[in-house]
Amino acid sequence: MKPFAYVKAANEHQALAALTRERGKVLPLAGGMDLVSLLKDHIAEPDRVVSVKGLDATITAADGGLRIGAATRLVDLHQHAVVSAQYKALAEAAAEVGTPQIRNLGTVGGNLLQRPRCWYYRNEEFACLKKGGARCFSVDGENQFHAILGGGPCHIVHPSSLAVPLIAFNAALRIVGPRGEKQVPVEEFFELPDRNLYGETMLRPDELVTHVILPPARAARSATYEVRFKQSHDWPIAFASVALQMQGSTVAEARVVLGAVAPIPWRSPAAEAVLKGQTMSDALAVKAAEAALADASPMSHNAYKVQVARTAVKRALLQAAAATA
Amino acid sequence: MADETARAEAEGQVAEVAAPATANPNSPYAWPKESRLLSTRVNRIDGTLKVAGKAKYSYDMQRPGMLYARILRSPHPHARVVSVDLGPARAMRGVKAALTIVQPGAKVMYVGDEVAAVAATSEDIARDAIRAITVRYEVLPFLATVEQALRPEAPAVFEGGNVKESQVEEEGNLQAGFAAAAHIVEQAYNTQVQTHVSLETHGCVCEWDGDKLTAWASTQAVHGTREGFATSLEIPQANVRVITEHMGGGFGSKFGPDVQGVTCAKLAREAKAPVHLLLDRREEHLASGNRPSAYARIKAGVSADGMLTAFDGETWGTGGAGAASGFPLPYIYAFPNRRRVHKDVYINAGQQRAMRAPGHPQGCFITEMLMDELADRVKMDPIEFRIRNLPPQAPNAMWREYFKIGAQRFGWDKRHATGDQAPGPIKRGMGCAANRWGGGGRGTQAQCEILPDGGVVMRCGTQDLGVGTRTLMAIITAETLGLPVSAIKVELGDSNLPFSGGSGGSTTAPAVSPAIRVTASKALQELAGRVAPALGVPADQITASDGRVHVKGDPSRGLSWADACRRLQTTPISVNGQWEAGLSASGTSGVQFAEVEVDVETGVAKVSRILCVQDCGLVVNQLAAESQCIGAMIMGVGYALYEDRILDRNTATMVNPNMEWYLVPGMSDVPAIDIMLMNQPERGVIGIGEPPTISTAAAIANAVANAIGVRVRSIPITPQKVLAALDGERAGGTL
Repeated sequence: MKPFAYVKAANEHQALAALTRERGKVLPLAGGMDLVSLLKDHIAEPDRVVSVKGLDATITAADGGLRIGAATRLVDLHQHAVVSAQYKALAEAAAEVGTPQIRNLGTVGGNLLQRPRCWYYRNEEFACLKKGGARCFSVDGENQFHAILGGGPCHIVHPSSLAVPLIAFNAALRIVGPRGEKQVPVEEFFELPDRNLYGETMLRPDELVTHVILPPARAARSATYEVRFKQSHDWPIAFASVALQMQGSTVAEARVVLGAVAPIPWRSPAAEAVLKGQTMSDALAVKAAEAALADASPMSHNAYKVQVARTAVKRALLQAAAATA
Repeated sequence: MADETARAEAEGQVAEVAAPATANPNSPYAWPKESRLLSTRVNRIDGTLKVAGKAKYSYDMQRPGMLYARILRSPHPHARVVSVDLGPARAMRGVKAALTIVQPGAKVMYVGDEVAAVAATSEDIARDAIRAITVRYEVLPFLATVEQALRPEAPAVFEGGNVKESQVEEEGNLQAGFAAAAHIVEQAYNTQVQTHVSLETHGCVCEWDGDKLTAWASTQAVHGTREGFATSLEIPQANVRVITEHMGGGFGSKFGPDVQGVTCAKLAREAKAPVHLLLDRREEHLASGNRPSAYARIKAGVSADGMLTAFDGETWGTGGAGAASGFPLPYIYAFPNRRRVHKDVYINAGQQRAMRAPGHPQGCFITEMLMDELADRVKMDPIEFRIRNLPPQAPNAMWREYFKIGAQRFGWDKRHATGDQAPGPIKRGMGCAANRWGGGGRGTQAQCEILPDGGVVMRCGTQDLGVGTRTLMAIITAETLGLPVSAIKVELGDSNLPFSGGSGGSTTAPAVSPAIRVTASKALQELAGRVAPALGVPADQITASDGRVHVKGDPSRGLSWADACRRLQTTPISVNGQWEAGLSASGTSGVQFAEVEVDVETGVAKVSRILCVQDCGLVVNQLAAESQCIGAMIMGVGYALYEDRILDRNTATMVNPNMEWYLVPGMSDVPAIDIMLMNQPERGVIGIGEPPTISTAAAIANAVANAIGVRVRSIPITPQKVLAALDGERAGGTL
């Protein structure tokens, strides 16, 4: 790996001071679950690495919801009493990340900001679009795990497990930077490759995600359903997080978000519209799942993901509806 | 490589040693009829070391002043090396040696082919240094897939052609065979390229002392690797010592020093310092061997009463750049009329090496899938159908019996007809498959010392691949000398010890066990001679049991082991012995059963349980033999469902050279495993390392078909393939 300077930030102020405006030159390090492999594989070659492990790693009640420090470890998130009781979809997603080792070191911020797992992006030999190269190798290559929605010109799927339920709960991120601090809905945080080819989010190199702001759960029934091939360490083929506001057996309001199907966490207003005001049933869940994937445009080898994603949406809906609020 | 089996294995051939099928009960060293330790469950004598992380593998070896080396590998699938400039690497601080592996003018044949190497004071510096080497390549046309290589317009990449056709194997009268058939199945099958994924990677630590080389290597053949070093470096074998104290798996891929071993030795010589060169995971996948793929187009016939009539098979596969891809077909079952032709297809990818039962899993998968399809045509239970078509029963061909007892144990009577009719998305199914293997061995020498303080040392230049050979030596020595296992000190894994061959072809136990038995017996005879005067009987009337050396049949007339040894005074006993015929044999048979759950809405298949019924002659250590079965079946689960070396079709570059996307089963993917080990003490010792992996994937694939009612004729059985097969069925596809 390329040698770099190491800065340990004791607080937000120090962390921000260590960042720069130039992309890729200074990178924050939290659990290191993603960054270290990027460094070792020469995918990232920063001049400076800033440790942000020392930043807020607590989960506190705030405004009827929760305020989660970005340095919170995944294990602490999914074992948190309020999270597992009121934000089931989030707890379930956190519990499915990687392996126990990864959950014991990986952080909330790191999970949201990890880079794509596309094997063309991750292998140095491929000078792919995202790395400044001329082509996306997945288009006529090995694209069985690539995007079925929102792809082009790069066809990654976003790897974050947490972003998907966070959007289902309409969470926001607190971002600090040289121009002060702001709150951005998680849904608006991620950017498609046709808008942002070299990154996956709106975060600028001199900014830092410090907190996740979860609004009140409002007794939402929620679930995350993940389909993966191996039961041990493996990435999902597709998954879905849903949050439902129920009135009796009627869906008053629904948020349906899909993961591992698009370059960003993929919210489906079409599926939500199908559900709104209807009585939950197997048939309704199937209909919503079909609506969620209606616009899918699979590549040469990933059409099966459409069926897998439909199943994930259907099962997440039924699981949520059956769950206690 | 001195040992023929190991050589055959290293070349990727199907290794089966021709040896007698039974032991000789009249051998002077015959296995005891009533054993104290043999066939019991004995914990590994090095188990505590390993669990505590104290066992030192070659990878762990640290020497004073040791350097770390890395290899620069080709980024191109096919290119001529025009020039290599090591200068920039040599100029880096901390770099102590550098060399070119491919000389200018020569070619690299796959992504990952070795080009140059560097040794430096840290691994980081070595990694940076190989990136500083400047190589100019003339990039040449390449073949990334079998399909590309088979195209008539494919560029001529390999000398002598991209495709090598084998001779036609033919027996009987094919036309008559098909005429006698009531049903004919014509289908295509395919298996993937699987890599070995040894947890300890390939490589060694090399250290020179003057003109003498010591290599701590991760190898399946300490003696073969000594010979390999001597030949490659043009030094006397006497100047080379290879040590493998503990080893983290090889599965057929680790027989010689390899390019990295020789490179390591050369770097160490140049740097005048010990050098550590062990590969990383990516290099393991790219350049340290694999199981070749197999493709088959089969036409087979069955009579109305369920007898096989004809088999016509065209097969091909790739072992990578210029390497073979053969496998036995049809497998086990008796097709009276048959023809088979095979093509080796070369592509620009890492070469195959022997991998756990080379060829057999491919042949087994294709044949056993076909058997179920034929059984379906004649509406016959798959086991009944198999039993009708098996070759005659023999000690090394017990499938009929094993299918019956296995079926009972597994609950085969609860198996439904093809296609689980149960409501809901989860479909369950059962499948079965048979296997055969050689597993004979020979040619091992050993030395036993009995010391005046009662200590016993058994030495043998074999190696323990992680399978329990060290414990096997201790058990046999202890059994023979009437001592507890803990009383025996075992030395192995060193080419300075008496010769033993490479550990391939499941030959280690049948090669080593007789040598240990003979040597320990001879040592005991010598001890008997020394204490005979004290006991007042001739030496041949003396034996040892329960920690005593005594008159045969009368344990009270004797000495404690310690007292007997004390009579050696200052001269220990040191005897050499070697393998003798009559204590081991060759030829194993086994069958396996699998039950799976397939989610037809996601295509995800999961193996819920597997049973293996397996023989291996006389079981030396029940625990270790079961452990072999467990590991082999887990590997079979990976072969059936997960593992696949995926090359990008446009660049011939592997996209999953890691354990993130090259999927191997983890704890949660391992099914409930049941083992029926069929002890055949009268046959002597036979190896079991390979046979239990052969049938697992075939049994699982048949179980998947039984569950979902459509066949996935290609492994690994991914969700993609399951859903595609189900879509085909909905569109009117065949069973």
